[in-house]
Amino acid sequence: MAMAVRFTRLSKNCYGALAPVLGNGQVACFSAGPPPGTPPPQTKTKFGPLADEDRIFTNLYGKHDWRLKGAMKRGDWYKTKEVLLKGADWIINEVKVSGLRGRGGAGFPSGMKWSFMSKPGDGRPKYLVVNADEGEPGTCKDREIMRHDPHKLVEGCLIAGKAMGAKAAYIYIRGEFYNEASNMQVAIAEAYQAGFLGKNACGSGYDFDVYMHRGAGAYICGEETALIESIEGKQGKPRLKPPFPADVGVFGCPTTVTNVETVAVAPAICRRGGNWFASFGRTRNSGTKLFNISGHVNRPCTVEEEMSIPLKELIQLHAGDVIGGWDNLLAIIPGGSSTPLIPKSVCEDVLMDFDGLVQAQTSLGTAAIIVMNKQTDIVKAIARLIMFYKHESCGQCTPCREGINWMNKIMYRFVDGNAKPDEIDMLWEISKQIEGHTICALGDGAAWPVQGLIRHFRPELEERMRKFHECEQKKIANN
Amino acid sequence: MLRFTVSKVLNGAKNGPKTLTVLTRWQSDQAKKPEKIEVFIDDKSVMVEPGTTVLQAAALVGVEIPRFCYHERLAVAGNCRMCLVEVEKSPKPVAACAMPVMKGWRVKTDSEMTRKAREGVMEFLLVNHPLDCPICDQGGECDLQDQSMAFGSDRSRFVDNDFSGKRAVEDKDIGPLIKTTMTRCIHCTRCIRFASEVAGVDDLGTTGRGSDMQVGTYIEKLFLSELSGNIIDLCPVGALTSKPYSFTARPWEIRKVDSIDVLDAVGSNIVVSTRTGEVLRIMPRINEEINEEWLSDKSRFAYDGLKRQRLVTPMLRDSSGELKPVDWEAALLTVGKQIKNAGDKIGAVAGGFADAELLISVKDLLNRLGSENLCTEHVFPMDGSGTDLRSSYLLNNKIAGAEEADLVLLVGTNPRLEAPLLNSRLRKAYIHKELEVAMIGPEVDLRYEYEHLGADPNVLKNIASGSHAFAKKLKSAKRPLIIVGSDTLERPDGAAILASVQALASSASPQEKSWKVLNVLHKVASQVAALDIGYTPGVEKIRNGNLKVVFLLGADEGAITKEDLPKDCFVIYQGHHGDRGALLADAVLPGAAYTEKQATYVNTEGRAQQTLVAVTPPGRAREDWKIVRALSEVVGEKLPYDNLDEIRDRLEQVAPHLTRYGRAENANYFKQAAALAKSANLDSTPLDVKIKELKDFYMTDSISRASPTMAKCVQAALKQKEAKC
Amino acid sequence: MSQAAKTAARQVKPILSLNKEEARKRVLNLYKAWHRQLPYIVKQYDIPKNIPQCREKLREEFTKYNNIQDVRVVDMLIIKGQMELKEVVEVWKQKGHIMTYFKESQEPKPKDFISKFLAGVN
Repeated sequence: MAMAVRFTRLSKNCYGALAPVLGNGQVACFSAGPPPGTPPPQTKTKFGPLADEDRIFTNLYGKHDWRLKGAMKRGDWYKTKEVLLKGADWIINEVKVSGLRGRGGAGFPSGMKWSFMSKPGDGRPKYLVVNADEGEPGTCKDREIMRHDPHKLVEGCLIAGKAMGAKAAYIYIRGEFYNEASNMQVAIAEAYQAGFLGKNACGSGYDFDVYMHRGAGAYICGEETALIESIEGKQGKPRLKPPFPADVGVFGCPTTVTNVETVAVAPAICRRGGNWFASFGRTRNSGTKLFNISGHVNRPCTVEEEMSIPLKELIQLHAGDVIGGWDNLLAIIPGGSSTPLIPKSVCEDVLMDFDGLVQAQTSLGTAAIIVMNKQTDIVKAIARLIMFYKHESCGQCTPCREGINWMNKIMYRFVDGNAKPDEIDMLWEISKQIEGHTICALGDGAAWPVQGLIRHFRPELEERMRKFHECEQKKIANN
Repeated sequence: MLRFTVSKVLNGAKNGPKTLTVLTRWQSDQAKKPEKIEVFIDDKSVMVEPGTTVLQAAALVGVEIPRFCYHERLAVAGNCRMCLVEVEKSPKPVAACAMPVMKGWRVKTDSEMTRKAREGVMEFLLVNHPLDCPICDQGGECDLQDQSMAFGSDRSRFVDNDFSGKRAVEDKDIGPLIKTTMTRCIHCTRCIRFASEVAGVDDLGTTGRGSDMQVGTYIEKLFLSELSGNIIDLCPVGALTSKPYSFTARPWEIRKVDSIDVLDAVGSNIVVSTRTGEVLRIMPRINEEINEEWLSDKSRFAYDGLKRQRLVTPMLRDSSGELKPVDWEAALLTVGKQIKNAGDKIGAVAGGFADAELLISVKDLLNRLGSENLCTEHVFPMDGSGTDLRSSYLLNNKIAGAEEADLVLLVGTNPRLEAPLLNSRLRKAYIHKELEVAMIGPEVDLRYEYEHLGADPNVLKNIASGSHAFAKKLKSAKRPLIIVGSDTLERPDGAAILASVQALASSASPQEKSWKVLNVLHKVASQVAALDIGYTPGVEKIRNGNLKVVFLLGADEGAITKEDLPKDCFVIYQGHHGDRGALLADAVLPGAAYTEKQATYVNTEGRAQQTLVAVTPPGRAREDWKIVRALSEVVGEKLPYDNLDEIRDRLEQVAPHLTRYGRAENANYFKQAAALAKSANLDSTPLDVKIKELKDFYMTDSISRASPTMAKCVQAALKQKEAKC
Repeated sequence: MSQAAKTAARQVKPILSLNKEEARKRVLNLYKAWHRQLPYIVKQYDIPKNIPQCREKLREEFTKYNNIQDVRVVDMLIIKGQMELKEVVEVWKQKGHIMTYFKESQEPKPKDFISKFLAGVN
């Protein structure tokens, strides 16, 4: 799309020229020059679809060669040395300008996160840990990167590592991702052979290593501190925070844990400029994003799209609409299994970005859209998710260990309707007792789907209970 | 092996030096800021050090925050979530046990949010906790019970019991001391942290996850440690209870008497629980200077030995050579007659359980009869200054002082089994500070790493002369300790070893003047008091004295045999157990065990402490010093004290520190002692200790030898060992 | 007159005897009754005492109360004595009960160290 490209050029070159048309508050700011790391102001009103030349992940579907040769053809490892030589501050500034927010679910501004690491060191080595333990039901974006575009990640590690002054990067990959791990390992080996990694990486004088660590199949190991514990060879159980990993992380050294996608887009941001990246999506939600669309759609897919694209457009454009047509939609879980669902009425006009979904009382999460049409047993679907969380709770802290187990029992009774209506309020309260009371966010993630269900489908729950009890009454009467 | 809690790192507590040397440097930089910060607990202002946790800050203003997993002496786990409190401007409640306070925080420990959080956690804990309080041994002293009363909801809304029931977990067999009922476990992981941090036996852990998480050993294995019993006290619920005590009594039925343990020379403070004249259990009592709040397994579980093999009535050997029960009158008259006949040909041997009152009364009696043949069963070198200077036979730097050391040289001792609580201090210093340990002697398992310098005593000489690599370390150490085991000093060349250790100690240059390098670790509770009072260590005098009467004061270790004595020698055994000593005896006078008398004991640091009467002596047994006092009247040399106060006045005359209970009198004259010591040639036979492995630990004296529980422990230790082979 | 004075001045109500003389007669009667019973006691209860010893004990038991002057107290003791006699005559008592007249069950507390030691008291 030409429009977007032009806009990019404009914002890059004529930065000052735009200033007068902006709000008065910002004019004063601009007169002194914007502070470094400020994303460009918002001018766009329509978001998506994304033009092909703006795609970062050009081999998302594995149609091309994923190895070094093919990757270099697609522009990976291009002028990496120059990027590295511009220094850590430049990279961090560029990431700040881009407005990139963590793609792992929490959406913490990456530039800020990386800059925590550039504090003067105390002699301890620093580490970058890439969280490739993608286990959230519905989410399948990182695996596409790792199996079809592994060099994006390897290069990203190098650039992010340079930005933080890290000594090495650990890629903690989910144990079930066997092929992905193989491809990653090949990519790392290729990068080493080509001199892109190791001593004097890319000839920049910077020493950097990348290691792969395969997990053993626990969802909780995707939590950053649990992941650190797991790398250290212990049980993957989340640590208490503080101290945060930026102070005491893997092997007791400062560490930053980032999502695969966040790291993998870093080279593109550095090459094409933060402003280019920031030109997509709304302010504070900028960039492109991999969306996974699964469930009751005609063509489930993973697709790179612009942030802030309307949900309806995203589904209709890329996934071939809901099975049975848009009107057959019941609800959507917009950000992976741990986010609360939204009913059709909300889906109509919600924008797929951090702020838009927060407004809809849900969250972007990993942008894994699970579509459920009217043929879905929504209660059973949520109950199944809670069962997953029950199974994956590490068991360390009480509210999560006992609470989710209890919620699971209640949810499965709700599926049949074998409960009293006031138990809905009790379930709500239990979910609130779990949320925010646990060491890590798994408890929150388990509480939210239940809360979403109760928020939007309370009549459905009550109806089931009524039916169940009527049935029971009949049985008694017949006997 | 150890799971360091990272919050400790931030709080400025030092971490293991071996893993993170850089880290420690970083912390010491941080530690240079003593500036205090102000926080508000329930609107009460309190100034605290940076890095103090919310829970500690609350404790400073007297607000106790409920907790299950948090324990002062263990790493912070923060997993029970019971200590959640509201902090103003924080959307979520924070875990008070782990969260360091920030400047100006306003903590609300009794707000709506806090109370709801506690109630919620309590509800969750009870979801899967069985309601078996009526048959649970922890009932009445259960944290979960107490806190659910205080902080829990007053009614239940848990209806899923009717549909699916509660979780049930199979019990584990972790040895003869600890009974497990794992269904009751609330997964606080205190036992796991104790095992790995304090005991150093990393056998406990969690398996499974979520609601299937279990605490256990994974493969069935006995949890054998000399400190294992402490996990019973640590367990906030009834998951781990005492096996020997199971289904015995309720806490509200028992009388508790504060006392002192005498099964090793540490003098741990204990609480003896009794009911109807029976010792039901022994638990530790907090004493920061000695045992903190731990207790070794022998001290804790050997109490059932107090009910078996007891001497309950005076006995005399009749013409057929059998010991026959008699009454006190007959016994006293017969013994008195023998003593009168013997004149000054009389001697006494003090065993490991002899209290100071007994020792002084026997000494007074024998002195009046003109005899100075007063010995202890355990040998200590008498050359040089011998036992004249207290500094040469005390653990001079005190037990708590061991934590501060940066270099420890163990000479022929196995502190893990001879003084488990001293070893736990050393281990603590090893883990949390930068203690280095070296050992001359047998290579024993201390549960921490040490440099083994060989078993040849001549290494001592080499270090002293500077030819050994260790000499440099010793010289440069700021707070070095040399701990000599009493086993070593019992060797024929004990004097030479002591002399060379003294020389070595005086050559070290501790940073502070008051730091004492030389430390002697005794094995029995009576030794220090006996030496203080003026007993001669070793039984040479008895062997060579051609004595007519020998008084054995609980001497059961076989230092004296029939063959050592003349044929016509009349042997009197006074003690509480029918053990080796009583077999030799012509007359047996039944005494009281340490739970049955108010008596003074001096531990290896030289700290006088007293036991109190928890139960009355069984049968016709009497308090020990009274027997001697009665005997003196029969002999016609009446001792001038009729009650405890009077005999303690006498003790004070002899050595004032013996009645200053709880205090450890510092010893002095190290230089003089070292100067007087004659350096003789060292034997080259390797140093050895008697108690090498756990199986040797459990039965070392007449009480523990009579204890069925200890016998089971030995069996278990052997079984474990076989299984490993 | 105050209430207190009234009570004090009121004639005390006799139990049995109106005066000392009458009480004395009753005492002697009781004594005689016991005295006559003694041979039977020795026989029935098979106690290791002979009749003179019993007479002595009887006398001792009566003379124990020599100093009592109050008629009402004397009467009370007489009643108790009669009850005791009845119990003896009807053999409601056992041998040990009779023998308690001859031996104090409570021994004196030991005073000096050695007797305390032998008795096992502190």
